[in-house]
Amino acid sequence: MRRKLQVNGSVVEYNRRTFKKFLLDNLAGMLFTLPLVLGLIIFSAIPIIQSLIYSFYRYDMTTTLEFIGFDNYANLLWGYDSAEVRGVFGRTFLYAIITVPLTLVLSYLVAVLLHQNVKGIKTFRVLCYLPCLIPGVVSALVWRSMLDQDYGIFNAILQAFGLSPIKWLEAKETAMFSMIFMGLWGVSGGMILWLAAFNNIPSTLYEAADIDGAGRVRKFFNITIPLSTSMIFYNLVTGVIGSLQVFSTFIMAGGGDGPEKSLYFIAVKIYKEAFQRWNMGYASALAWVLFVVIAILTSMVFKTSKWVYYGEEG
Amino acid sequence: MTKAEKQKIVDIVYHVVMYVVLTALAIVLMMPYLFMFFRSLMTWRETELVPVIFFPRGFHWENYATVLSSGNYLTYIKNSLIIALFNTFFIPLSTSLIAYGFAKTELFYKKQLFAIMLATVMLPGVVIQIPLYVMYADFHWLGTKLPLMIPSLFGGGAINVFLVRQFMRGIPIELENAAKIDGANAFVRYCYITLPLCSSIMIFLAVNTFIGCWGDFYGALVYLTDEKEYTLAIGIYNQSIYGGYDGGKTNHIMAAGVVMSLVPMLLFFGFQKHLIRGIAIGGIKG
Repeated sequence: MRRKLQVNGSVVEYNRRTFKKFLLDNLAGMLFTLPLVLGLIIFSAIPIIQSLIYSFYRYDMTTTLEFIGFDNYANLLWGYDSAEVRGVFGRTFLYAIITVPLTLVLSYLVAVLLHQNVKGIKTFRVLCYLPCLIPGVVSALVWRSMLDQDYGIFNAILQAFGLSPIKWLEAKETAMFSMIFMGLWGVSGGMILWLAAFNNIPSTLYEAADIDGAGRVRKFFNITIPLSTSMIFYNLVTGVIGSLQVFSTFIMAGGGDGPEKSLYFIAVKIYKEAFQRWNMGYASALAWVLFVVIAILTSMVFKTSKWVYYGEEG
Repeated sequence: MTKAEKQKIVDIVYHVVMYVVLTALAIVLMMPYLFMFFRSLMTWRETELVPVIFFPRGFHWENYATVLSSGNYLTYIKNSLIIALFNTFFIPLSTSLIAYGFAKTELFYKKQLFAIMLATVMLPGVVIQIPLYVMYADFHWLGTKLPLMIPSLFGGGAINVFLVRQFMRGIPIELENAAKIDGANAFVRYCYITLPLCSSIMIFLAVNTFIGCWGDFYGALVYLTDEKEYTLAIGIYNQSIYGGYDGGKTNHIMAAGVVMSLVPMLLFFGFQKHLIRGIAIGGIKG
C-alpha cells in the first residue's frame, strides 16, 4: 500500500516537475510575446466582437442602447438606406478594380526602371521617392489646388495645348477619374520594397542567363518577374485591402461627399454615420459588411496564389 | 560592323532612352511638390491669377514667418512631435521584443499566435474603430492624445513584427547559444546580442513610424476634438477647408504644407542608407 502510494506520489511529483520545466522553458517566449497577446485581446479581439454586438443595436453613445435584431442589416441591404449603400459600395469597388491593377503594374515598371544599373540612378530614386514623403493630408490639399477649375495647373496645361478645361473634382463624371489620376503619383511609394525584392534575386541566375545569351527582355520575363512574385502578391493583397478603405476622398471633397455624392466612399460613409450622425450601431453593421467583403476577397486572392514563389525557405 | 560595335550601339541607345525616361518620370512625379513649393512663395494675388502661373514672380519667404507666427501652428507642431516621438520610441521597442519572442525563444503556441497576428492585417481599421472609440470614451481619453499613443505599447503592427522577425532569423543561432552557455538569460541576450545587430531594421522602423504618425490624419480627426490638442495634419486641413485665421489663403496653406513635408524628407535624407539596407537584408519571404 505504502509503496504504491509512494510510487504514485513520485509519479505525480515527476509530472509536476516536467510541467514546471515546460513552463520555465516557455517562460521567456511568453513574456516576450505578452504585449502582443494583450494588444491582440484589447485592440483587436474585444473590439471586433463588440462591434458585431453593436451592429444589432441602435446606439448613439448617450441615451439610446436598444436591441433591434437584424434591422441595421435590413436597412442597409434592402431598407431605406440601401440605394445609398449600393452607391457607396459600387463607387468604392469601381475605384478598387481600376486602381489596384493599374498601380500594381505601373509601380512595378517604375521600380524596374529605378533598378537599372546606370550612373546617377540613386539621384533619380530620391527624386522619384520624395513626392511620396509628402503627408497624405498635404498631398490631398495640393491636389485639390492643382485640380481647381479656375486656378489649377492642370487646366492651365490643357488650355496651353488648346484643349478645353475639365471640371475635375467639381463634376460627377470626372471626380472618380480625378481620384484615380491623382493616385498615379503614388506609384513610386512601394519603391523601397520592390528594390529589396529585386536585390534578393540571386545574381548567379542573371550570370547564368548571360552565359546562355539571354537578352534584357528575356531576363526580365524569365527571372525578374517569376522571382518577385511574392512581393507582387504582397502588394496585391495590401492593395485590395487598402483601396477598399480609402479615406482621402473625404479631404478631396473638402469634408463633403463630392458632386452628386461621386466622392462618397465606404470608409467616409462609415466615418460620417459613426462620428457625425452618431449612429454607432448602424456604422458597425456597415463596417462588418465591409469586413466580410474584404475577408472574402482576400481569401480568394490567397486561394488563387499558386503562382507565387516564396523562395527555397518555404 | 562587328558584334562588339553592335553591342556598343545597343548600350548607348539603352542609356539615352533610360536617361530620357527617368528624367521625364522624375519631373512628372516632382510636379505636385514643386507646385506646392512655388505657391508657398507667391503673394496671395499671384495664386489667384488667371491665366495660372507656375513660377512665383518674387520669392516671398515671409509667408513662412506669417504661417508660423499666426494661428496655432507652433502648438500643432508640438502636438505632432509629442505623438510621433512617443510612437517612434515605443513601436520599435515593443516590435523588437515580440519579434525576438518569435525568432529566438521556445513557445508552444508560437505558430498559432503568429498566424492570428498576421490575420489581423485583414481587419479593416473601421471595424474596430467604433468599439475603441467607446472604450476610450469610458477611459475619458477622448480629446487627449492618449488614443494615438498608448496602443504603441502593445505591439507595433503585424507587418513590422513580421519584418523584424525575418531579420532576426537571419542572425546566426550560434551567437545566442554561446551567450546561453555563459549564463545569459533571454532578456540579456535580446539586449546585448540581438538588438545591436538589428540596428538597421530598427532605424527603418523608427523612421517609418515617425513618418506615419507625423502624417496621420484619420486617427487625429476622430480622437482630437480639442483645438489645443490638434496635430499639424488637422490644423492644416481645418485651415484649408474652414478658413482659419486668414480665410485659408493658398500661399499660406502651401507654406504650412512645405513645413509639414520637410520633416519626413529630412529624415529620409538622413537615414537613406539605413532605410534601403534595413529592408534589403530582411527581405520579404514566406
